[in-house]
Amino acid sequence: MGKSRFLKYGFVAPVLVVLIALNVFPLCYNVVLGFSNAELSGGPWQFVGARNYARIFSQPQYVAAIRLTAVFVFCAVTAELLLGFALAMGLRGRFPARPVVLTILLVPMMLSPAVMGLYWHMILNGHYGVLNQVIALAHLPQPQWLTDPSLKLASILLIDIWMWTPFMMLIALAGLNAIPQYVYEAAAIDRARPWTVFRRITLPMCAPLLVLAVLLRTTDALKQFDLVMAITGANDSATQTLSALLYQTTFRTYKVGLGAAYACVVLVVVIALASVFVRYIDHIQQRQGKQA
Amino acid sequence: MKRQAARCVGLLVLLVAVGVFGCKKEAPAPAPTPPSEPAAAPAGPEAAPVEGSPGKALAEEQEVIIWWAQWDPSDGLQNVGNEFEKRTGIAVHVHQIPWPSYQDQVTMNFGGKQTNFDIVIGDSQWLGWGATKEFYVDLTNWLKENVDVSAIHPLSLRYLCEYPTGSGNYFAAPCEIDATGFTYRKDWFEDPEEQAAFAAEYGRPLTIPDTWEELRDLAEFFNRPDEKRYGCVLLTGRGYDSLIMGFQQIMWAYGGDWGNRETYEVDGYLNSAGSAEALAFMKELLGFAPPGATNFDWSKCLEAFNNGSTAMQMNYFTFYPSICRVMGDKVGFFIMPRKGERRFASLGGQGFSISKKIPEARQERAKKFIAWFLSEEGQQLWIRQEAGFTSNVALLKSEAFKVATPYNPAFAESLDHLKDFWNIPVYGELMTTAVKRIAEAIDGECSPQEALDTLTAEHEAILRDGGFLK
Repeated sequence: MGKSRFLKYGFVAPVLVVLIALNVFPLCYNVVLGFSNAELSGGPWQFVGARNYARIFSQPQYVAAIRLTAVFVFCAVTAELLLGFALAMGLRGRFPARPVVLTILLVPMMLSPAVMGLYWHMILNGHYGVLNQVIALAHLPQPQWLTDPSLKLASILLIDIWMWTPFMMLIALAGLNAIPQYVYEAAAIDRARPWTVFRRITLPMCAPLLVLAVLLRTTDALKQFDLVMAITGANDSATQTLSALLYQTTFRTYKVGLGAAYACVVLVVVIALASVFVRYIDHIQQRQGKQA
Repeated sequence: MKRQAARCVGLLVLLVAVGVFGCKKEAPAPAPTPPSEPAAAPAGPEAAPVEGSPGKALAEEQEVIIWWAQWDPSDGLQNVGNEFEKRTGIAVHVHQIPWPSYQDQVTMNFGGKQTNFDIVIGDSQWLGWGATKEFYVDLTNWLKENVDVSAIHPLSLRYLCEYPTGSGNYFAAPCEIDATGFTYRKDWFEDPEEQAAFAAEYGRPLTIPDTWEELRDLAEFFNRPDEKRYGCVLLTGRGYDSLIMGFQQIMWAYGGDWGNRETYEVDGYLNSAGSAEALAFMKELLGFAPPGATNFDWSKCLEAFNNGSTAMQMNYFTFYPSICRVMGDKVGFFIMPRKGERRFASLGGQGFSISKKIPEARQERAKKFIAWFLSEEGQQLWIRQEAGFTSNVALLKSEAFKVATPYNPAFAESLDHLKDFWNIPVYGELMTTAVKRIAEAIDGECSPQEALDTLTAEHEAILRDGGFLK
């Protein structure tokens, strides 16, 4: 027993070492740096207590970035969930072109966000962009997608929704396909209406996977950086998300200590949200277990 | 089972041991980079000469590693460096880094115990940071003793090399001197029909503008969106300092300023009526620009002008040779317009700074190269390179220089009107907030005065935090 445990730990140890070196240590070091005046160019640094956090919470740009990130996450994840679920419902049945349609729909998700950002930058360009040229053919006013302050965030949202709706669709489809057929057959015997079937069977049975998808997308959207960087740059107040502000603080003003404090705040927000979602998933699963 | 477990653990220990000791083992010093491969990975500081190791020291004796951005002047500097090698046997390797990551790479490299470069060709704004963080070698005495300082244009020396500005302490030596100017469509300006139409509309001949108001009229006249023709493009990019470079010369001309360079007071300068008027004027000018031109860095400005859609373009002189290649004799050049008696041009270009984080022997070799580069021989070679702009007063005044290219006269004149943004260590924070607030005014999110009032408060806080403002 003792030797087998020794063997077990022996196998786990290398992974543990790598995890500590690459995840736990940087995380702890980041927390330490958050209380310092460290700079990107190195050199000695001192502890400054909670000064960085005081500065963060007193800065209007931080509040603005929090608000903007919240708006972005809410709009993007909601739209992706609704569209993804609708697409999954549409693609649930079997039809001849289904594999081709599925593959085409999944393409945006497989592309690099940075590269897509650069392509979309060209598509949305107000001067020579394809989108405005098409709009011009219809003799409609040509919006300035990349420079009009009221459209910049919408443009980034549009790209994000285009990229990540397939992800929601894929998970929703997996959830839908996992619902046993006999449940629907039983509902049909009971003469349940389609809306009742959807509300009482499809949605609840799909919910755990949908919540998981929302969790993954929310944590990812909270870190939104690549599209912002490619479309408007990190220093645009109309699109400055928390991650963009973090980048600007660390790499443009060299304030690693302040940047680390920002990172800690983002991390706490992500962990808090993830905990809420995980609890909710547990709750749903327990309820379903009881019902079963 | 027992034996199997022992074998597994043994294997594990072996793997860990190989990893740990393999990493600890000192890497062999890299061979000197061949001169024919300037863009190859630079020899690191670990290749620094080792005392009592003549073989290595000899190899080290033969190179100077320079880091600069990836653009035409870097190729020119490599050519000049090759000539230096022929004369001295010291190879010069210009390691070119793409612009978007240049600043990050330099900053992080200074974070190490030794830098991978001997010389960094840095922006003028980096001076205070490099000097106070002790990254740059103080060149004050050396420059005065080894270089004819009186031959260098005083404004380029002041803004490109000196920290604090006006102190007489030098942390850089001039390399690529640059300024902002305007290019214009000579063929449009010289078209008799256009000239007649302009004279009829504005009551004066169609000539290159001398004042900002004249430039505004010209931009309005040539702005014909229905024909996909636009009046002007200005530097407005928000990624780094484009917007600041585009705005500040108008602000200075209108009587505003970033602040008092001696007391660091900002209130009353940055949010003055002149600054607000300048910002409103810039916004008006951008009404005659192509769609989306409220966020155009130098490359986008080049694109808008070179594609033939724009009458006038604000940009750095460094790019004018490439414009000439594309546009031929359709393009002309003029200096920044004035407002009343005030005429200013934003400083461009970069200076040589020697890393303090390299051995003294390498610093000496770097100085040797800089001294030769700034000699008449070096400068003569430099100005023959594409976009090789000099700060040598005698060369700037020479007739040969003025007739060498169509843009040289405007360049030489522009140097007399140079001015620059803050170059103190907190310049990064000052810059990012300035870009953000000025952009807000240009985008119409607030009035110019509101934007500048907010910016003034932010700059005051940054300067106070940095210990500059009491």
